Amino acid sequence: MRHIRITAVVIKELIQLKRDPRSLVMIAMIPLIVMLLFGVGYGGGTGKISIAVVNLDKGSLSWTVLDSIMKTPSVYVKAYANSIEEGRELVKDGTVSATVVIPEGFTEELMKGASTQVLVIVDESITTISSTIRNAMLAVTYKFQQELVRSVGGSSVELIYSSVYGPKVTNLEAFTPLVIGIVLQLVPTSLISIAICKEKERGTFEQLIMSPISRYDIIFGKLLAFFIATIADMLITLMVAVWIFDVSVRGPLIDAMVVSTLFLLGSLGLGMLISVLSRNQLQANQAAIFIFIPALLFSGALMPIDMLSPSARILANLTPMYYFVSAFRDIMIKGFGLWQITWEVFALSVYMVLMMVTAPLVLRLRVD
Amino acid sequence: MEYAIEISGLTKKFGDFVAVDNLDLRVRVGEIFGFLGPNGAGKTTTIRMMCGLMRQSKGTIRIYGYSIPEERSELIKITGYMAQRFSLYEDLSVYENMEFFGKLYGLNGEGLHKRIRELLEFLDLEDVKDRLAGRLSGGMKQRLALGVALIHRPKLLVLDEPTAGVDPPIRRAFWEYLRGLNKEGTTILVTTHYMDEAENCDRIGLMNKGRLIAEGTPKELKRRIFGGDLVEVVLQGRIQGDVIKGFLNVGDLKYKDGETVLRLVLKDASKELPSLLKRLDSMGLKVQSAEPINVTLEEVFIELVTKSEARVRGEAY
Ligand SMILES: Nc1ncnc2c1ncn2[C@@H]1O[C@H](COP(=O)(O)OP(=O)(O)OP(=O)(O)O)[C@@H](O)[C@H]1O
Ligand SMILES: [Mg+2]
Repeated sequence: MRHIRITAVVIKELIQLKRDPRSLVMIAMIPLIVMLLFGVGYGGGTGKISIAVVNLDKGSLSWTVLDSIMKTPSVYVKAYANSIEEGRELVKDGTVSATVVIPEGFTEELMKGASTQVLVIVDESITTISSTIRNAMLAVTYKFQQELVRSVGGSSVELIYSSVYGPKVTNLEAFTPLVIGIVLQLVPTSLISIAICKEKERGTFEQLIMSPISRYDIIFGKLLAFFIATIADMLITLMVAVWIFDVSVRGPLIDAMVVSTLFLLGSLGLGMLISVLSRNQLQANQAAIFIFIPALLFSGALMPIDMLSPSARILANLTPMYYFVSAFRDIMIKGFGLWQITWEVFALSVYMVLMMVTAPLVLRLRVD
Repeated sequence: MEYAIEISGLTKKFGDFVAVDNLDLRVRVGEIFGFLGPNGAGKTTTIRMMCGLMRQSKGTIRIYGYSIPEERSELIKITGYMAQRFSLYEDLSVYENMEFFGKLYGLNGEGLHKRIRELLEFLDLEDVKDRLAGRLSGGMKQRLALGVALIHRPKLLVLDEPTAGVDPPIRRAFWEYLRGLNKEGTTILVTTHYMDEAENCDRIGLMNKGRLIAEGTPKELKRRIFGGDLVEVVLQGRIQGDVIKGFLNVGDLKYKDGETVLRLVLKDASKELPSLLKRLDSMGLKVQSAEPINVTLEEVFIELVTKSEARVRGEAY
């Protein structure tokens, strides 16, 4: 009896989804569009920050510095200026993000064995850009000093980097877990968030609950139908990442799918809870989007959790997206399997179960 | 079991507003009970409480002995329900809607399809069975809703304005269906705004401002207004009123084309009319015709509502 009813709800929901162009666009197009935009935005491009150079030195050592700047992968020299003021203007008007000034008598001072300075004028308005420049310039000076020591003699300490999860993780790869997380939260949650309140708004709920249907039949029937529909989203995002963007998943693909499925089910449960609690479709849509904002902020993907304040860290620890991004990243980049990320998998499972059981408990089979 | 529906002291408050006020109502098994009343009288609210769709503030409800809302799951098995507002899925076809609700009642396979075919034929919906419910005409929608309400062969049908906004011929057909179902033993509770429809009911409850202000068969209600049946008697020639007013309760007397048209009130026309005619005849008056006047329930209704409101005002001051 019960399976007849649940199957009936699943079939009905799928037919309705099939006939609703807006839902279809949401299921199929949004993940594709988000993934493609992201791939185009982060995959291609030079990825270099433009700088200007002011060389006031007349000696040869300044050329060694410039050479080393040009070889730095994260910056490129866009302009040359003749004075400090001119260089400062270029930064101010946004032509370049930084200006490197090699002072007069740079070579001369170094030859004498004295220390000298290189001035870097930085646009501090975008922190990632300014910190990239700082890092780049540190590397440049460090390299220059190594060479100087080698040519004139003396002792020095050399840094040797050895990466664990190399070769270097590209921007695209670094953000893939977040983008998949975004699609897997936004699409299912907003899609299902109107599932119940639409019935209430249209009056169909009244007829529905005059039949021998239980709240579990209603909720789980709908969840199952939307799960079947949105599983496509998980596959689309993963396939686009792997086949179109050449993102390599170093861990087992099946484990990545398991984690994605857990998160997807949690998102559906969350959307269902929103739907049960909302008065109308508009309210439900707004709630789905509103709840997405903290998920994004505390995902740990925009800023590492360790860098957040203690209270923000607590919030992050309560954000399912954080566990998903971290679990997915571990599988994708570190090549972990599920057994190495049991904590994240556990947290995602708790989230999923909690969402799934709350909605039917809150649903009332009444029209007031 | 004698009563299909037994309601006593039923009250519903929305905040301070009393939508249903201490209502008592009984509907016998096998009857068609018409629930009448102006907009906002509280009919829908009463029905919703009866079906456990809304919690009552006070009062007890028993449907076929099951107490509501506690035994709502039993009520659902035996009740077919049609809401005031069309509440089927507009993006499902006629057939899909019936199939869906049929499955919710545990019907499946050939049994379900047979039942649907039966209902499609009964309600004359075979030609549109694949049409989306949202594209149906008003009359078809109502028939489909009735079909869904009937899918599990309910003992009790609860219909909230099933014929609102539907053409007269289709309304007539709709009542044909209802009478057919009633003959097969289905108890029907139906609300309507159309007084002519109410004539089809075995008994009528008149509701106003949350209260039941009158109850009875259509005939009883009409008699209550005028104190009896209205009869129109046409006599030859101009008769002076004094001649007959002595022994008759004359409501109205007119002359027309050399005839006298009388409107009389009789306690029970079927019993009194023959002897009255004899008496007129013995007085030498020539009776051209004598017919009961069909008072519309509408008149009764307006009369009763006005009276009850006057009474309420009287109480208030
Ligand atoms: N959920 C609610 N909250 C507040 N007031 C309500 C609610 N439902 C109904 N009412 C009020 O209760 C009163 C009775 O409404 P109800 O719908 O039962 O009347 P009705 O007799 O069915 O009228 P109609 O013939 O227009 O359908 C109305 O004044 C209505 O505004
Ligand atoms: Mg109503």
